[in-house]
Amino acid sequence: MTAARSMTLALSLSTLAGCATELPAAGVARGEVLYQNCSQCHGDDGYGSTLVHAPAIAGLPKWYLEAQLTNFQIGWRGAHADDVEGLKMRPMSRTIKSAADVMVVSEYVAGMPAKKSESTLHGDVAKGQAAYAVCSACHGVDGKGNEAMKAPPLTQAQDWYIVKQLGKFKGGVRGYEPKNAAAATMKDISGGIADEAAMRDLAAYIQTLPL
Amino acid sequence: MIEAFILQASSYASQIDALIWMIIVITGVWFFAAEGVFFWLIWRFRARPGGAPARYVDDPEEHALKYKWIEIPHRLILVCDVALIIGAITVWSDIKLSMPATDETVRITAQQWAWTFQHVGPDGQMDTEDDIVSIDEMHIQVGKAYKYELMAKDVLHSFSVPVFRLKQDAIPGRVITGWFKPTLVGEFDVQCAEICGIGHGIMPARLYVETPEAHAAWLASPTHYLAYQF
Repeated sequence: MTAARSMTLALSLSTLAGCATELPAAGVARGEVLYQNCSQCHGDDGYGSTLVHAPAIAGLPKWYLEAQLTNFQIGWRGAHADDVEGLKMRPMSRTIKSAADVMVVSEYVAGMPAKKSESTLHGDVAKGQAAYAVCSACHGVDGKGNEAMKAPPLTQAQDWYIVKQLGKFKGGVRGYEPKNAAAATMKDISGGIADEAAMRDLAAYIQTLPL
Repeated sequence: MIEAFILQASSYASQIDALIWMIIVITGVWFFAAEGVFFWLIWRFRARPGGAPARYVDDPEEHALKYKWIEIPHRLILVCDVALIIGAITVWSDIKLSMPATDETVRITAQQWAWTFQHVGPDGQMDTEDDIVSIDEMHIQVGKAYKYELMAKDVLHSFSVPVFRLKQDAIPGRVITGWFKPTLVGEFDVQCAEICGIGHGIMPARLYVETPEAHAAWLASPTHYLAYQF
C-alpha cells in the first residue's frame, strides 16, 4: 500500500470514528448518550418545549420516569387515538431497547437540575388552592409527590402541561388501561374537575408551589 | 420478477409491476443503445498518429448522416414515449381515477408518528358506536374491496403499503379517498413514505389481511394497541 493510500484510509477511518457517538457500556454516561434522542423534543436541559408540547422532565424522580417510559412502550400510555403528543412519545420510547437502558436514561434525567417553569396561562390561584386539597392527598401539600402512591411531583411541570394532562385523564385519553392502577385512579379523580377553567385554576396554584 | 422480492397482495399490484417492467425495458433498451453508440464513436474516432481533425462541412452526405443518427432514433423514442404515456395513464385511470364498488370503508389518520385506523364494527357502518379504532395496526378481510379515507393531523405523511403497490400522500386539511382490494392473507408492513420529522423512520404499522373467520374473530375481540416487548 502506498503512503498516499495509507493516509487516505487513515483519514477515512478517523472521520467515521468522529461521526459515531460511542455508547458507554452502562451507567449514567450511557444514559447521557441515550438522552440525545430525547433532547430533540425535551431539550438538552430537559426543560421541555411549549412549541412541540414536550413537558419538562429534568429532575423528575427515577421511579416515575422509568414507569412512564415503560408505560409508553407497552401501550399503557400514549396508545389512544386522541393522544396526539402521547402517540409521538410512544415510538420514541421504543427506541430505548432494553429495561436496563430505560433505567440508565431515567437515572440521567433524574439527575438533571429541575427548574421552575414560567406561567403561560391565567387562572384563579385561590380557587386552584381550594381545589388542590383533593390532589394533595397523593401529590402532597407541597406538590413534591409521593412514590408510595405513585404520584409524581408537580412543582416543575409547565402549567399548560398540567391542564393538557388533566384534560386527557378526564377524557379517558390517559389512564385508560385498568392495569395501570395509578393512572386509572387519576382518571377517576380528574372526572371531578368541572372544566378547563378549573384545570387552569389548579395549574395556576401549582405554579406558586416552590420546587 | 418484482414479486420474487416483494409479494403482490392487492388486485392492482400486478398492473403496477407490469408498468414498472415496461418502463425498465424501454428505458433500458435505449440506455444500452445510446451508451453503445457513444463508446463505439469514441473508439471509432479515437486519436491516431497523423489523423486530421474533423471539420463540419455542410454537404448532402452530412444531411443523410444526421437523418440516420438523429432523426430516426428521435422518432423511435417518441413512439416509445407515447407507449409509456398510454401505459401509465391506463394504470393511473384504473387505480387512481376510478372508484369501483367497495364493500367497506377504513379511515386512516396519520400523525407524528403513528397511524390510527378506524374500522367499521360488526354493524358494517362507519361512524357508529361499534367502530374499532386501532393504533398502528390495520385489520382487513381478504377479497373485500375497501375504500380508504386518508387524512393527516399535523404535517405531510404518505401511506405506503409496498405489497399493495400503494403509496398515497396524506395532507393536513384534506380527506383523500382511494381503494384497494387485498388478495393475499398475511401480515404486511405499512410505512410512512414522506419525511415527517425526527420520528419518521420509526413510524411503521402492521397490516393484517385476514380470512373472513379470522376477521370476524378480531371484530369480536379487537386489540386496541400493540403490546410491546423487548
